[in-house]
Amino acid sequence: MTSDSLPTPITQLSPNSGEVSPGSQVRFKSEGGRLLLLLPPAADTHSADSPADGPADWPLNWPELWLQIKQRLNGGDRFWQPQTAVHLVARDRLLDVRQLQAIEAALAEQQLTLRRVYTSRRQTAVAAATAGYSIEQQTSLAHLTPVATEAEQALEEPLYLQNTVRSGTEVRHPGTIVVLGDTNPGSRLVAAGDIFVWGRLRGVAHAGSAGNPHCRIMALHLEPTQLRIADKVALPPANPPVRYQPEVAYIGASGIHIATAADFARTYLSHPSR
Amino acid sequence: MTRIIVVTSGKGGVGKTTCTANLGMALAKSDRRVVVIDADFGLRNLDLLLGLENRIVYTALDVLAKQCRLDQALVKDKRQPTLALLPAAQNRSKESITPEQMSILVDALKPHYDYILIDCPAGIEMGFRNAIATANEAIVVTTPEISAVRDADRVIGLLEANDVKRLHLIVNRLKPAMVQADMMMSVQDVQDILAIPLLGVIPDDERVIVSTNRGEPLVLEPKLSLAGLAFANIAQRLRGDKVPFLDLSAPHDDLFSRLRRMFRS
Ligand SMILES: Nc1ncnc2c1ncn2[C@@H]1O[C@H](COP(=O)(O)OP(=O)(O)OP(=O)(O)O)[C@@H](O)[C@H]1O
Ligand SMILES: [Mg+2]
Repeated sequence: MTSDSLPTPITQLSPNSGEVSPGSQVRFKSEGGRLLLLLPPAADTHSADSPADGPADWPLNWPELWLQIKQRLNGGDRFWQPQTAVHLVARDRLLDVRQLQAIEAALAEQQLTLRRVYTSRRQTAVAAATAGYSIEQQTSLAHLTPVATEAEQALEEPLYLQNTVRSGTEVRHPGTIVVLGDTNPGSRLVAAGDIFVWGRLRGVAHAGSAGNPHCRIMALHLEPTQLRIADKVALPPANPPVRYQPEVAYIGASGIHIATAADFARTYLSHPSR
Repeated sequence: MTRIIVVTSGKGGVGKTTCTANLGMALAKSDRRVVVIDADFGLRNLDLLLGLENRIVYTALDVLAKQCRLDQALVKDKRQPTLALLPAAQNRSKESITPEQMSILVDALKPHYDYILIDCPAGIEMGFRNAIATANEAIVVTTPEISAVRDADRVIGLLEANDVKRLHLIVNRLKPAMVQADMMMSVQDVQDILAIPLLGVIPDDERVIVSTNRGEPLVLEPKLSLAGLAFANIAQRLRGDKVPFLDLSAPHDDLFSRLRRMFRS
């Protein structure tokens, strides 16, 4: 396949780096007609024994958490039915009345209604009760956080974002990420599944972050700062050919390859065995 | 409806205060009632650029501490009576005021002004959050440099997430000759990344520095320089008028003859 351009491989990642722990970011998940708003836990339970997980797994403070909630809301607003009930799964996070009201107001802007708060913290439960939400205080959240315990292999439903992913934004998702818009230099996408960018991919993208080498990165314009698939890392060629064609990055015989979408489809998609 | 506009950038030293001073002055010249707020607590210098330093008696903090009334802290500009400055405190840190207090000040000013321009400090910390708390519009200032554009991009993301959704871009300190020699990002390159509407481009010009030192915004010049004209045009666009963009690479004579033609018609 001559049209393949070979990005420069730089290094192998250590086995655990980039792994998306499912609870590390704010997430919306629909379940049985309602929408769950899952907050990442305040205390990271496994950071003590695996410090290699790095900063990405450090607990978020409120401003960061708030930013993520707003970004997810702004990026996905076309998909929610008005008046859908939202159940806030706050886990062990401390939220005060004002923060709960801020979340409710942000949801209301997208015509979503905060219906119920699940928490394992007494103080959060008290705050929620004071603010007038129904609460469910629980010590175990097993049924609401299925991925945290079992089935680390099964991917979450894709995360769909319709906005520009700007510098300083890192989007991590234990499934496939679809961006309708550009990702700018200084941004990072980390997906356990594939990454699709219907726009220009100019930041860092890591597909198959849990180790799956069959994952792919696809973009209308692939001008990345860096690409990663599973444990492979590649920089774009120093002088990338200016090709305004959709391209696909995948792991081939000698590391990460890039092919135009048309060539990729001819070579790979018609031979399922590869 | 009062327009509350924060002038912000992320990166320091790219021209936020220069833009605030010039736009404030230009809007006031067109008879709009304008107040400029210095939100750069601890590193204030909007007063310097406006040449109002020696007239400051009270600051925003004194108002909040109820040491004085709001109108006592406002410094009215003698040259442009419809322009006022609400000074920041110089001896305090950015943590000395909260977003809620900022809202109190802005709410109190709203009924009396058409435009409230807020000069934001560099960075994305507390001072930034204070400055954007009440804004419903933002002017993002950047220079055509990768690091400044990167920070501007970050700031745009934060503004959007904080519901400041009406955003405009100013590209400051452009050097057309360097762009032509492919040594500087072009305005198009900048817009390609930031993807927000362009309000205007200001050339790099020594006269900006001179006017800073004199405390006389360029838009006060009797015969506008190119940079002064760029600021005046931006103020007009801000008001909603359609003004063609200046061709900064054209030789000066050309430009002025063209402008004269424009004014005649
Ligand atoms: N178009 C220009 N041409 C030449 N010099 C300029 C131009 N714009 C700004 N400057 C100069 O750059 C310096 C910084 O400008 P200014 O103080 O407005 O930036 P700022 O973004 O407010 O900085 P800070 O982040 O410290 O608040 C000043 O000395 C100013 O005179
Ligand atoms: Mg300044």
